[in-house]
Amino acid sequence: MPKLSAEILQLLKEPATTKVVATTDEFGIPYAVASSFLHLGDGGELVHLELLEKSATGRNLLRSLWFDKKVSVTLAAADGRSFVIHGKPVKALISGPVFRRYYQQVRTLLADADLSSVWLIEPEEVVNETYAVRKKAEEELFPFSVHLDRLLVAPA
Amino acid sequence: MTDAAIRPTEQEPLQDVVNRYPDVPRLIIIKTDVQRRGVFYTDRALEVLDESLHQVTGTHIFGARDGKLVARPESLLLRDGTSIITTPTPLEQNPYSVDLIDGKLWLVDAGEPVEEVDYWSAPDFYALTSSSGVPMKNIVSARPQRLNIFPYRYCTFWNNGKGCTFCDIVCQLKKGKEELQIPARLNPVEVGEVVGAALLEPGRFSSVFLTSGSITSGKEPFDDEVDYYIEILSEVGKHFRTKKYPSQMIGTAFSQRQLERLYNETGLMSYTADIEVLNEELFNKHCPGKAEWIGYREWKRRLVAAVDIFGPGRVNTGIVAGVELAKPYGFRTEDEALVRVLEEAEELASQGVGTVFIVWSPRPGTPLGNQQNASLDYYIRLAKGLHELRVKYRLPIGFDDYRHCGNHPDSDLSRLLPY
Repeated sequence: MPKLSAEILQLLKEPATTKVVATTDEFGIPYAVASSFLHLGDGGELVHLELLEKSATGRNLLRSLWFDKKVSVTLAAADGRSFVIHGKPVKALISGPVFRRYYQQVRTLLADADLSSVWLIEPEEVVNETYAVRKKAEEELFPFSVHLDRLLVAPA
Repeated sequence: MTDAAIRPTEQEPLQDVVNRYPDVPRLIIIKTDVQRRGVFYTDRALEVLDESLHQVTGTHIFGARDGKLVARPESLLLRDGTSIITTPTPLEQNPYSVDLIDGKLWLVDAGEPVEEVDYWSAPDFYALTSSSGVPMKNIVSARPQRLNIFPYRYCTFWNNGKGCTFCDIVCQLKKGKEELQIPARLNPVEVGEVVGAALLEPGRFSSVFLTSGSITSGKEPFDDEVDYYIEILSEVGKHFRTKKYPSQMIGTAFSQRQLERLYNETGLMSYTADIEVLNEELFNKHCPGKAEWIGYREWKRRLVAAVDIFGPGRVNTGIVAGVELAKPYGFRTEDEALVRVLEEAEELASQGVGTVFIVWSPRPGTPLGNQQNASLDYYIRLAKGLHELRVKYRLPIGFDDYRHCGNHPDSDLSRLLPY
């Protein structure tokens, strides 16, 4: 499992970061949801708290675990930085001390909430999707993709 | 076509079976095979068993395949949250091993690590004692998300020698009474007290489960059993602010009047009456007590009638899969057994009654104790077949799934369903 960079660890800690978990169903149809509790677990995996037992995301995560399919997690910072992390769900906790800790945390933060499963997602690859970074890379790699009006001596 | 009596030395490599069923999760195939073959805990695995952290064998109503009643892990959890409910099995029967590798517990087969597992966590109330001085874990036990109440550890079908041929409830009662001082009949008030203590643990339990041996006595047969359940469920219900609470009872196939009482007078939300074998002739052979007191067709009729009371998807029946192949009366081939069992399961499903199976684990002290259960292929095909019926008739199984029971490979497959 690759170690996540300090920048990503910081983004995971940052409450203002938007965190999205994207999964696919049995037909390959994508399903992306905000995961407000997503954070880094003790073992270096991403932790997604699935509150509802029959949610599409929960079922898709299970399908991925069962049939060895990947999911992705997107982190979007308030300043425009963005990363997509590909990974695999490797464990669903439904009982035990770790589950209990998260259950209590969720109950403290959300009125009358429940917790179905604590999902551990092992990151495999990180893609920097920050616009400025992607733009620079594209312009270097694909110089023919530029619209010419952007290159004028005196832009319109 | 495979024969029921596959010898332990003829095990097909697990991966070959996994490859043959690409639409069945490998973890569920592993679970099923472990249930089929049992487990053996190595000394290293037992050294990390800590009674203050883990559940050790408790108030089982049924016994282990090796016939021993000593502290061992209650059961195992897979990484998808599925339980493997299995029993320690003698090494000569070729069980999986549970061993400690690099500080982690693994299922091991033929010397190869197969899958990482966890022991079940001990609930808080296991450390407590009831007001009458009995360890609470001897009154109510736990699964990862379920509270188990086994209030009466005897089955009166045994009074005239008509207990089920695969069942060791009475042998286990004697052992439990003598070796663990488990009360044979629980006091409903004390059960309520223990359940109250258990529920203080946040997030630990999502259902209450109740089962006992059949009690034939009463004004109408089984009235005493029903009265006893009502007494217990009423004590349990005092802890909830809602009239109904997530719960399951496995009982005898009760009459409509008895079922209405159970539903109306308690918080019970689902009902199971195990028919054990889905074939009339085999039912009569293997469940002579049930046949004598109720009868096969009436058992099924009562299951269907229960749907009107509890609702579709809240009534089911359990079978001890593999017994239908036991010699000398069983089906001759697994193919035939599968067709016949699924035919009858479909008849029930079409009327709102689900069927789940447990893998038959031949136990010492039972008439079928020296026989073999069925092949892994058979159990996988049966799990698929029962799951497909659930899809076809849109039958939810939320009250008897991986979270609320954990003993049915078929209902594990239904975890992906949106209902």
